Amino acid sequence: MKKLLSLLLACLMLAGVCGAYADEALEPVTLRVWFHGSTVTPDASEKVMAEVNAYLADKINVTIEPIWGTWGDFDQATTTALAGGDEVDIYFTCNWSANEYNKYARDGYWVKLDDMLDAYAPELKAAIPEGIWECAITNGYDGMGIYGVPALKDTATQNCWDVNGTLLAELGYDVDAVCEAGLDYYSDEFEEMLQAAKDAKGGDFYPLLIEPAVLERMVTHSSIITGDLNGANVLSYYYDAEHPSADIGSTIVNKFGTDEFAKFAARTYEFSQKGFISPSCQSTATANDYRTATQATAEYLFGTQSYAFGCELDFSNARGIDVRMVPETAAYMDCTSGQGAMMAVSITSKNPERALMFLNLLNTDPTLMTMMNYGLEGFTYNTNDDGTITFIDDARATYSPWTNGMGNIRILPPTDAQGVGFWDSFSEYYNAAETLPYGGFIFDASEVETEGAALANVFAEYAFNLMSGAVDPAEVLPEFQAKLEEAGINEFVSAAQAQMDAYLAG
Amino acid sequence: MTKKKNLRLNSVSVGAEAVIHVILAAFSLCCIIPFIFVLIISFSSEDSIRAIGYSFTPLAWSTEAFSYAFDKLPQIWRSYFNSIFITVIGTVVSTLMCALYSYVLYRPDFRFRKFFNFFSFFTMIFGGGLVPTYIVCTQLLGLRENYAALIVPLLVNPFNIIIMRAFFKSSVPLELIEAATIDGSGEYNTLFRIVAPIAKPGVATVALLNALAFWNEWYLSLLYIKRNKILQPLQALLMELQNNVQYLNQMAGQMGASAINEAAKMPSQSLRMVLVVLIVVPIACAYPFFQRYIVAGLAVGSVKG
Repeated sequence: MKKLLSLLLACLMLAGVCGAYADEALEPVTLRVWFHGSTVTPDASEKVMAEVNAYLADKINVTIEPIWGTWGDFDQATTTALAGGDEVDIYFTCNWSANEYNKYARDGYWVKLDDMLDAYAPELKAAIPEGIWECAITNGYDGMGIYGVPALKDTATQNCWDVNGTLLAELGYDVDAVCEAGLDYYSDEFEEMLQAAKDAKGGDFYPLLIEPAVLERMVTHSSIITGDLNGANVLSYYYDAEHPSADIGSTIVNKFGTDEFAKFAARTYEFSQKGFISPSCQSTATANDYRTATQATAEYLFGTQSYAFGCELDFSNARGIDVRMVPETAAYMDCTSGQGAMMAVSITSKNPERALMFLNLLNTDPTLMTMMNYGLEGFTYNTNDDGTITFIDDARATYSPWTNGMGNIRILPPTDAQGVGFWDSFSEYYNAAETLPYGGFIFDASEVETEGAALANVFAEYAFNLMSGAVDPAEVLPEFQAKLEEAGINEFVSAAQAQMDAYLAG
Repeated sequence: MTKKKNLRLNSVSVGAEAVIHVILAAFSLCCIIPFIFVLIISFSSEDSIRAIGYSFTPLAWSTEAFSYAFDKLPQIWRSYFNSIFITVIGTVVSTLMCALYSYVLYRPDFRFRKFFNFFSFFTMIFGGGLVPTYIVCTQLLGLRENYAALIVPLLVNPFNIIIMRAFFKSSVPLELIEAATIDGSGEYNTLFRIVAPIAKPGVATVALLNALAFWNEWYLSLLYIKRNKILQPLQALLMELQNNVQYLNQMAGQMGASAINEAAKMPSQSLRMVLVVLIVVPIACAYPFFQRYIVAGLAVGSVKG
């Protein structure tokens, strides 16, 4: 018996030694990664992850356990999981989801990555342009620094007129010429075209399909200040439409207190009175559904669109018309787009350095990125001779994570619809985008939280109606302005301005 | 003679009866029309929905959404099984727990009656809040990524306990239990052979409430089923689809073109209605089943005079 025991002990020790030897390489770890906006079925996930994990085992000895958060459940589920201290290694985060990047960085939920990046993710650090890293720098729990890895995706903002070219041609206009010349919201030609469409298609047709907040930013050439009230922007920063990086002496202003806004609101009200804007667009209850449905049936002449490279092709195919995108402003980069999709390492992660190694590989290794994003060759897609891929639609429908939310999408192979060289033109377009004069500034509104809450209430009461042309600005704007001042808009604006001055000085 | 009198006593005038019938018919129509509408939409072709929206008379009919759901989405069947499994197990266990708990609360000779009464009632007024509940469930009780997570949090419902206790009080006289004791019946015998048959309508009511609660549950799945989505019940699946579409519509301003492209991936509207049909049918069948006990129970008494 004793002999047996000692033999067993010896075996165990030997195993221990072997284990220690393997430690010299990399200990196997499991990482839980929480994605956003996924359409992935359990079966497809299992199939793809088997391959992904086999690949990762050789590379960094990591097993991935993905949590395929969907659009609908992500916000509620992640905030609960974060508050409840779930053992998740990597979370998707950004400045528009409920687990808002800057806020959760401030509250100490993300690991500060600055020092670890050089050690564990040098390729990743090099792959992402400096300007985008700057946007990731936020005033977090452990001081200013990078708390998440930004995705190299459509990292610029450009507001365009979404033109129904088919209808415009029907009305007898030269589509190319109109698009070439550009559109001016305040011009008589713009109004004439809307009137012509209204006359031709009848009373139930509303030629101007707007998303009020986008229209306002687009027409007044103002940008979102990252950190402004979520979903209720009250701050504006005007930039030069042709050269967004040019300093035209702008400061942060109360969005609703400017002449530009008054002019915009008056024009929108005028269009609304002429029957160019559907009443469905003017009610928050119906606006979103109406816009989506009307875009799908192509029953509009001009719409508003925050542009993404190549989207006119997708839209033309989906709507069965000739969709043209006419830029209102040049493309610019700001932190709202820079923080549009990020991956943060959770403080509950037991292996933050391995999590970072995974992010490093995901963002720099085309094989891994393609597997994670597009699935497996022969299962979800086939590769063509020219290097493009063709999706196998049925299978792709079961494995379809949100492409932009994954990371560096520029290392993906182009699809046959995108064509060879798509990603080169994509990178070229976004790399050419100029940075706004305030660079990577992020407003931390926590010091004016009380004012912020009051402002959000006032905003909800008036802003949408004004921006959609539902009410007469001559009557309502002064009243709105008075209420904003009562709620503390001036304190809010000066807090933002003071922070921006400090940021630019430092 | 007496029979005739009774009939007259209970009867109402023809006019009043007509009015009542009309009101009840209108109410029934209000309940059934939305469902018929959903059924029609689920059989409408997607082109028709796009062109004229939801309509009782679609331009073209199609069974495409049904065949898509049955052929292409194995998860629907799994979710169907999950929903039924959770509802059956959950209803049986929770009804049993509720009946036993309220039985002791109803017995005046139970010494800790007050304490246990307060113990359940207290949770109706003060909850732990979402996050503490979540932490207890996931970290202490291990309720995540398993069926238990979808069943255990709903097992005890203080409101049902109150209903059940009130039912015991009103329909099971204490004299009956005393009589049983005098006749030499033990506690278990009294409970299962004497009290239980009388309590059937109450149990059926609570069982129906529980069955509905388990069948309609989707929030627990949202919180506790993340990696193992194979366990998702049908309601959670539908809720997820619905929320996805809503979220993308809302976020179009912030996400720009990406939101529109993603929205295009979402299942068709008729497919969502197919899910609604699949969800409604089984639970609608449960009503007549429970109703039998409830109606039958109302006519049964225990102590005469």
